[in-house]
Amino acid sequence: MLLFVARRVLVWIPSLLLILFVVYALAFYGAGDPIKLIFLKAPGDVAYNEARIEAVREAAGLDRPFIAQFASYVGNLLQGDWGNSLITGQPVWRTIAAAAPVSGQLGLATIILTTLIAIPLGVIAALNQNGKLDYITLGAALAVGAIPPYVVGPILMVSLILLLPPGSIPYGWGGIFDVRVILPLLVLCMAPVSIIVRQTRAAVIEVMNDDFIRTARAKGLPERIVVLRHMMRPVLTPVVTQLGIIMISLVNGAIFVELVFGLPGLGRLAVQSTVDNDYPVILAVTLIGAALVMLSNLVVDLAYPLLDPRAHAARSDR
Amino acid sequence: MAQEDSGRGLSRRSFVKLAAAVAGAALPLGWQQALAEEGVLKIVHLTLNPDWSPLRGGGSHYNWQSLIWASPMYFDPEGNIHPYLFTSWQPNEDWTVWTFDIHPDAVFSDGTPITAAHVKGSWELNARPSTRNQRIDLVLSSVAGFSDVHTGGARELSGVRIVNDKQIEVTLEGPDPIFDLKIANQLAPIVKVEDVVDENGDAKEEWWQPANGLVVSGPFRPTLVDMTTGQVEYEPNPLFFGPAPALTRVELMPIEDTVVAVAALQKGEFDAHTELRVPNLIEQLGEEFASGPEIPKGQHFWLSTRTAPTDDPKVREALILAIDREGLKTVTIGDGPSKKAEQVLNAVSGVDPDFEPYPFDPERARQLLAESSYGAPENLPSLMMVGISAPEFEAAAQYIAEQWRQNLGIDSVQMKPQIDAYSGPDQGNVQIFRDDVATRVPDAVVYLMASIHSQSSNAQNKMGGYRNEKVDALLEEASMLPPSDPRRDELAREAQRLFRNDYVFIPWYHEVVPKSAMPRVHNFGRSLDLNVSEPWKITVGG
Repeated sequence: MLLFVARRVLVWIPSLLLILFVVYALAFYGAGDPIKLIFLKAPGDVAYNEARIEAVREAAGLDRPFIAQFASYVGNLLQGDWGNSLITGQPVWRTIAAAAPVSGQLGLATIILTTLIAIPLGVIAALNQNGKLDYITLGAALAVGAIPPYVVGPILMVSLILLLPPGSIPYGWGGIFDVRVILPLLVLCMAPVSIIVRQTRAAVIEVMNDDFIRTARAKGLPERIVVLRHMMRPVLTPVVTQLGIIMISLVNGAIFVELVFGLPGLGRLAVQSTVDNDYPVILAVTLIGAALVMLSNLVVDLAYPLLDPRAHAARSDR
Repeated sequence: MAQEDSGRGLSRRSFVKLAAAVAGAALPLGWQQALAEEGVLKIVHLTLNPDWSPLRGGGSHYNWQSLIWASPMYFDPEGNIHPYLFTSWQPNEDWTVWTFDIHPDAVFSDGTPITAAHVKGSWELNARPSTRNQRIDLVLSSVAGFSDVHTGGARELSGVRIVNDKQIEVTLEGPDPIFDLKIANQLAPIVKVEDVVDENGDAKEEWWQPANGLVVSGPFRPTLVDMTTGQVEYEPNPLFFGPAPALTRVELMPIEDTVVAVAALQKGEFDAHTELRVPNLIEQLGEEFASGPEIPKGQHFWLSTRTAPTDDPKVREALILAIDREGLKTVTIGDGPSKKAEQVLNAVSGVDPDFEPYPFDPERARQLLAESSYGAPENLPSLMMVGISAPEFEAAAQYIAEQWRQNLGIDSVQMKPQIDAYSGPDQGNVQIFRDDVATRVPDAVVYLMASIHSQSSNAQNKMGGYRNEKVDALLEEASMLPPSDPRRDELAREAQRLFRNDYVFIPWYHEVVPKSAMPRVHNFGRSLDLNVSEPWKITVGG
């Protein structure tokens, strides 16, 4: 197991370097001179002075060749220096350190809630296949998943503003256990719940008529035991894979929810830095996103043998 | 930043309005009444601001700087200058040396007297490139030694001399009869330099945090700047040298989604907004919220004189004459509060009453296009617009493009919010820039120097290096004259008329500085510096 993890982590390093290189090159050659763009995008009364621009570019180290800049960036990164924001001048690590935990907590809480809500619903729907409960569950999941978060978020927010007593506006971040997080979590869970309900239902239907399930029933085991001990393990394998993908998108891209509910997360930071051409922040967010993808895949891979012994045996045989 | 829907189909805004109407119909009336907490001003802020330094010369927090910083002088909403930190000022005979007297009782919020050393040190700090004050040129560019400091070649402004603790003398590179007007704003605040700078003389990180011992000079002082939630709170500064403020507290909270912000303002959860740009602002929050004094600021479309096809004067003239600008006004700004623009100048004494507006003449426009080097619309390269970054700008750009299609047969017009949205090679070929021009000095010459003089960023960036030597000469001559000399405005008008005949801009509208506060907020007049002029007078409720 440890060797497996170590091998995977070692593979991360060149992968992350390659991603960094590509993103850095795209930013360097694709979007144009960031300092000049800062002045071009500034309001009309901000002076455009070539000497000033050169001074700012030189201070930011952007007058060096691409390879020199990239090497310098990687060297600093390895020493824990993520650089400073071109817009605010503040250390990037501090900006990331403020945003990442917010997104991380939201993502984790969403996954946990989704798991607790969607998997049982999916199982219930599958066990009542083509029955009233199945249709209601599936229909509700589809309806909920069809409404975009940037529609349902503001509607819920405005409705609450009108309904709640004064001073109770559920806006801002007060931690994952703060009451203000209920509404954003609700909105964040909608699409994942819809996906996982349908995924679970399909997986259960696929498994429920297998021989080993028939054997378990034939042995006289209670249905509850048949479902929980025999059926769930093969069902959870694709579900966990899906949850891993959902987790990545939640942490990196819950932009609409973050904007509507005032949550200072990574999604919002990513969009803001892209709009501002704030390269150091863009690179940092990209790095974290890429690392998260790899970590998520690793966690899912580690979970497979726990869920399905056949996966563990297959890995051992290799 | 929040992205607004474009208005195609059932928009997010319509959806939300429908839901709010349904929810609102079921409410007990009591909860919909005004919820003002007397003595407390609650403000919706634009965004989660990562930087509250007052030394940036702008930013989303700029509009609130007058709450905590005392500027040298200030303008009232009518454009009259008032003493503040500087109680009096005097130029010499040829306007090259200015002497300023500092208020004898002026102190920072820790009791430290504000001295000439603080003024000199603050201006030098603001001028350094490491401070990244993006508008310092507007304030100190005429001061001797400024360019050396501004490009990093020197640390000290050679033209600023400390006469004594309460008097400072400024020597300029050349005559500047309106230097006093240029410093009457919050662009270069006077700070307690010894607490702000590090051993290299640069501003320390987050020196503006209350937790880092921030001292201020204005009627309020910050007690909370939460970088995670974006919440900011101010309380009265007990050592403020001016009148005691009427408010007991000011609270800022960021709400980036404008739909939520409007609902919160309507509900009474908040009293004011930093800067709210939504369609139908008057209908949603009332005329008083959206109205205010006209300020010398205009939104226009600028044509590049360097890029094909607008490098051809006949093409530029054709493009301008083909637009029904009355229709443009109707579909974009409607009945106000912004005003349709005919000329660059507005809200200054030099506005030209005899300015000849561009006519709407599609026939003449087609003729000009035929006479141009391109001959026909199908020979024109694709027109590229930039600065189309908000729904109102998109509405205007779409209208203009449609006018060109109908009247000139031009059917290839691209629109992007920012120049880097175009591919690298295309970035150098953009012909049309939507942008505002403004001045924080109520003076026609300064306004035009920033808009149409060849050295202005507007001329260099937005008009492709536009240069009319006669325009430059007139403005430079006018800039040497005192404001009391009627020739100053006459020369400015003449320069503007010459500029008109170069056909380099599509006039759109002039702005007002909206109150951006609900009717229950009183004494909230904003000046052309976008700050509340006399924040100690603000009251809420009653």
